[in-house]
Amino acid sequence: MSAATLPPGIEIPPGLAIAAPQPDILSNVKPRRGVIGFLRRYPTIAIGGGLLIIMLCIAIFAPFLWTKDPTALAPALRTREPSARWWFGTDMLGRDVYSRVLYGSRVSLLVGFSVAICASAVGLFIGLMSGFNRFADSIIMRIMDGMMSIPSILLAIALMALTRGSVQNVILAITIAEIPRVSRLVRGVVLSLREQPYVEAAVASGTRTIFIIFKHILPNTLAPLTVQATYICAAAMITEAILSFIGAGTPPIIPSWGNIMAEGRALWQVKPYIVFFPAIFLSITVLAVNLLGDGLRDAIDPRLAKKL
Amino acid sequence: MWAYIIRRILATIPVMAIVALFVFSLLYLAPGDPAAVIAGDQATPADVERIRESLGLDRPYLVRFGAWAWDIFRGDLGTSIFTNLPVSTMIQQRIEPTLSLMVVTLILAVSIAVPMGVIAAWKQGTTIDRFVMAFAVLGFSVPVFVVGYVLAYIFALELDWLPVQGYTPFANGFFPWIENLILPAIALGGVYIALIARITRATMLEVLSQDYIRTARAKGAGQRSILFVHALKNAAVPIVTVVGIGVALLIGGAVVTESVFAIPGLGRLTVDAILRRDYPVIQGVILLFSFVYVLVNLLIDLSYTFFDPRIRY
Repeated sequence: MSAATLPPGIEIPPGLAIAAPQPDILSNVKPRRGVIGFLRRYPTIAIGGGLLIIMLCIAIFAPFLWTKDPTALAPALRTREPSARWWFGTDMLGRDVYSRVLYGSRVSLLVGFSVAICASAVGLFIGLMSGFNRFADSIIMRIMDGMMSIPSILLAIALMALTRGSVQNVILAITIAEIPRVSRLVRGVVLSLREQPYVEAAVASGTRTIFIIFKHILPNTLAPLTVQATYICAAAMITEAILSFIGAGTPPIIPSWGNIMAEGRALWQVKPYIVFFPAIFLSITVLAVNLLGDGLRDAIDPRLAKKL
Repeated sequence: MWAYIIRRILATIPVMAIVALFVFSLLYLAPGDPAAVIAGDQATPADVERIRESLGLDRPYLVRFGAWAWDIFRGDLGTSIFTNLPVSTMIQQRIEPTLSLMVVTLILAVSIAVPMGVIAAWKQGTTIDRFVMAFAVLGFSVPVFVVGYVLAYIFALELDWLPVQGYTPFANGFFPWIENLILPAIALGGVYIALIARITRATMLEVLSQDYIRTARAKGAGQRSILFVHALKNAAVPIVTVVGIGVALLIGGAVVTESVFAIPGLGRLTVDAILRRDYPVIQGVILLFSFVYVLVNLLIDLSYTFFDPRIRY
């Protein structure tokens, strides 16, 4: 540093030596910032998110991906093996399996995302309520305990037995089956947050409860809730396929992966491809969502990441 | 101790009551009028009304729930609309395959998953560990019927090692019985193994960093004895808990597995009942499965003292 860089009017006192500038030893280690850096640090988010985006594109652009009408019957051309003309073959009614599988991604993703969003929203509301109101808590948690002791697939099956098969009803049934888990999670987070000094301080200084909930509690529940929502999304996609597979889900006219597998079931020993193609797509999509969830969990709670 | 056991058993009563209320509401809300179905097409409205009264269908909701719950309590689950057989008889006929499948899967899953988790924790950060963790993610992601079809295709159709489908009763001998159950059990066990292995690894990692493990090493205990005696016993409580919670996965998965492998069990009964809208049967099966699930978790709660004598009630 030379005297020239000093502000005018200040002079270096005699006898004071100024050290020469040292090279910044940290400058070689470039901290990775931004989206790329984040994705490099959490490769599971990159892989899972990437696969999920590809699946989303397939669902959105299904009509433009060289598909035919997924419901067009061609009995004369039934059960053709996969070939250049029918990439994934045709089913027993002559429908193009490739087109049906691609259109089927729409149902799975719609159900997965809808259930994740609805179950999180309702679960968040119920969890906040029971975390803050002791009376409501005792009632709500007994009901949730009861609902949780019915295995969630059975609960969804039971609800579907009450109604006619439609995509909305499937979403509703799976959402109801998933709500207890989310509520429990949110309630647990709320109860532990209430013990935090900053919440106690807010209570002591007379902050209104509603303000504490929205300002201090809610933002802190969102991180674990997001992770939970991705797992719910994955579980919902599997449940939808199971419901459709056993004939209690989306109506057979809609091509969903579960429906395609259910239709291929009778023929799977001779024409296994009808079952395998939707199975592969379903597995990859669920894997993508699970990887994304694992990555988000690691990013949000690095302490847990080392363990699990 | 006894006071705790009694308190814990009493605590399951409200849970089961909620389950019963829910399952009853299912029938209550179900579309279709049973009285009109029984009366047939020729009946006049007065006939239908008379049958409704004789069945007690005109009584209020809670009264009907009380009567229904009392019947359940005495073991009367109602009569199937479709076959006219008592639901309890139908369940009895179908329970053996499902019970066999679940027990075999449980034994298989625990005996694979626990060593997997222990080894992954011991070799933390190595290829073995990564392999186990990758397997766990896959196990969570590949649905049970996909695993089922792939296994059946490879081992039954291509290699012809095991029967493709069906079930042989235990009374016909152990080997025919187990032969039919191996593939379904592996398919059903996938998620369960993944779940148990993950928890085992996480808990073992925590236990292995404790002081008493270092002490055991210092006194010269062998690696195997440290892992399976000192560490695993202390890691048992969370593992056993997740084994109990995972039974829900087994129950849900059994419904699908039985469809894939054509096993005539309770799962198939459920699927058939749904397709026929046979509500009393659906009710009975859901009630039974929920009861089993609650019972298993009650027993697991009570087993904690066995694994960790410090837990006293």
